Amino acid sequence: MRKTFLVWLFTFLIIAFICALVVSFWALTAQASQNAQTLIRLKIADVEKQLRINQDNLYEIRKELDESGIAKAKALAKMIQLNPSLIGNSEEIEKIRELLLVDEVHIVDRGGILIFGSVPSYFNYDMASDPQSAAFMEAIRDPDFVLAQNPLPKGINKEIFQYVGVARLDEPGIVQIGYRPEKLAKALEIADIKNLAPGFRIGSSGSVLILDNQGVIVSSTEENTLGLALTDVIDSGTAETAKEKMAKETEGSFIAAVNEEKRLFGFKKSGDYYIVGQLPSHEMYLSRDSGTTVLVIFNILLFGVIFFVIAKLVQSIVINGIYRVNNSLEKITRGNLNEVVSVRTNKEFASLSAGINTTVNALKEAINEAASRIDTELSFAKAIQHSSLPSKFPAFPERKDFDIYARMYTAKEVGGDFYDFFLVDENHLAVVIADVSGKGIPASLFMMISKSILKTYALSGLPVEETLYKSNIALCENNQEDMFVTAFMGILNTRTGVMRYVNAGHNPPLIRKANGSYEWLPVKQGFVLAGLPNIRYTEQEIVFEQGDTLFLYTDGVTEAMNRVEQLYSPKRLIRVLNQFPGSLGLEGTIVGIKEDVDHFSEGAEQADDITMLMLRYDRSADFSHKEKQGNPSKEVFE
Amino acid sequence: MEIKKSVEGNATVLALSGRLDTITSPQLSKELETLLEKEAINLIFDLSSLDYISSSGLRVFLSAQKKINAMGTQMKIRGVNETVKEIFEVTGFTGILNIE
Repeated sequence: MRKTFLVWLFTFLIIAFICALVVSFWALTAQASQNAQTLIRLKIADVEKQLRINQDNLYEIRKELDESGIAKAKALAKMIQLNPSLIGNSEEIEKIRELLLVDEVHIVDRGGILIFGSVPSYFNYDMASDPQSAAFMEAIRDPDFVLAQNPLPKGINKEIFQYVGVARLDEPGIVQIGYRPEKLAKALEIADIKNLAPGFRIGSSGSVLILDNQGVIVSSTEENTLGLALTDVIDSGTAETAKEKMAKETEGSFIAAVNEEKRLFGFKKSGDYYIVGQLPSHEMYLSRDSGTTVLVIFNILLFGVIFFVIAKLVQSIVINGIYRVNNSLEKITRGNLNEVVSVRTNKEFASLSAGINTTVNALKEAINEAASRIDTELSFAKAIQHSSLPSKFPAFPERKDFDIYARMYTAKEVGGDFYDFFLVDENHLAVVIADVSGKGIPASLFMMISKSILKTYALSGLPVEETLYKSNIALCENNQEDMFVTAFMGILNTRTGVMRYVNAGHNPPLIRKANGSYEWLPVKQGFVLAGLPNIRYTEQEIVFEQGDTLFLYTDGVTEAMNRVEQLYSPKRLIRVLNQFPGSLGLEGTIVGIKEDVDHFSEGAEQADDITMLMLRYDRSADFSHKEKQGNPSKEVFE
Repeated sequence: MEIKKSVEGNATVLALSGRLDTITSPQLSKELETLLEKEAINLIFDLSSLDYISSSGLRVFLSAQKKINAMGTQMKIRGVNETVKEIFEVTGFTGILNIE
């Protein structure tokens, strides 16, 4: 759960991180774009202002120049009126030219022909022959005519030169002066639009362009772009939008690429010009990029801290509690109902703990109740099982011809062992030892049935084999559970000492001849009882001499197990029996074997019922008994 | 106890290892119930790795043999070790089971 939670938390924080970053990036981009536009707009305003100042200056200088030129020309016209002989006097004209601080002086007659001046090579020039000079022809007709021409480049040097002309006062004609307007030339140079743009910079790598109204670059930092259209400079992909935008609006901005580098352009129409500012996008987004870097680092730190704090909190408030509850539940599931859940880190856990504890306590009570009921019933079953076995010893106090002793030590759980002995008639003693497969109430019930069926058939006087054959058939009926019984049954003729016996799948018994040692009784191992119907068994016989002892037992003895899972084994049984002194007696022997089994198991719990039965034949006593009775019974069995 | 199931020709082989006693018998019993419930099959028990068999274990073999007899198929037991063999002999199971 913790992992799942952390994965979700991490995913959520990553999404939040990305969102925060995207929004910040977008805001920073907008901010950077805004800032760049403002920067360009302000710069354009500066350029525009400079442009206007230049033009104003120029206008003022020109006005002054024109006025002074006109005054000088008028002065010369007056001089000629006062002294017409000046015409033809080159010396005087030269002096006057110098006094007037002009470069050229020309006098034109009423026919428009330059008749005299400071430059003899111009003499006889027809003013009407050129549009520039023809502009002065009006002065021949109009005595009030004045004209200060636009200063124009002249000669090889292309020096700026201005002509001013007025009407002659002495007769119709023109007085013209020409001079280099140095001040104006200087102002013109300063005001030259071509020189304007290189004087401005936007940011560190942005620049200004000035276009004429045809969109041709007339001023730029990059001289190689002069004379080109802006749309030629811009990459073809973005040129069209730029063109459209500039055609529609008088002021605005657009993004276009130049040599595959994106730039932000701002423009403004100012008189006959367009002032354009441009800023490369890398500079435009410089602040955004650095801002984003800072933001990313800060956000990573912030989200990292949030992640660890939340993970830690959840761990300490929820996960640890759940682990502790789970640990306790695991212990409870494994059977430790005394485990108490005590997670009280918060109200919810306290309530959960209390709930679990209440449930477990209720469960514990129910289990204890059920257990005590079952215990009672089991001890009843055990008691009934025990009481069904003959347990009064000596069993036949009046009989001196044999002695018998048996004992069943039940395991904790009710088992299916049983033994039995009874007199079929005065001279015949039946002994049985058996073990029902399985344990518990079903086994003990089956044991009772088996015992009574065997006894019933034996008491009806049937031979041993027939008894077992019929008992087997009876037990096979209604045995849905596939239980079975291993049994050994023997019937001893107490008069002759002949015992006829059958072994139906039971552990082979032991026999000790008087003054000898214990040995296996030769047995043909027949099939167990209640397994399959119609099984025939092999009946065998053995003749008991005085003092011979039969030892019957169940696998509870030989398969008793110690702590290292070793079995007690038939070998040990026979060895221990033979170590006992002959004088020990039947009861002493059985108790002795049980003690040895206990000793062997080293305290390991007894897993199965332990049952033993011993029969000793004392023939001499038998004879005396029978002679006294004088009533030998019919030999049914032999 | 561990039960390994495999197929050998037209028979299902159950290889048992460990101890077949009161605790583990229900496991085999259940396995057989599901096996024999579906269809009539031939069974082979491989007891090479079986250390011990208690009366509860014998009961499972008896049940299986009865069911196999009823179905008319075959059941074989092989790889029986000395301990297990002795138990089969003592209880007379050698007479009713097909032990190789």
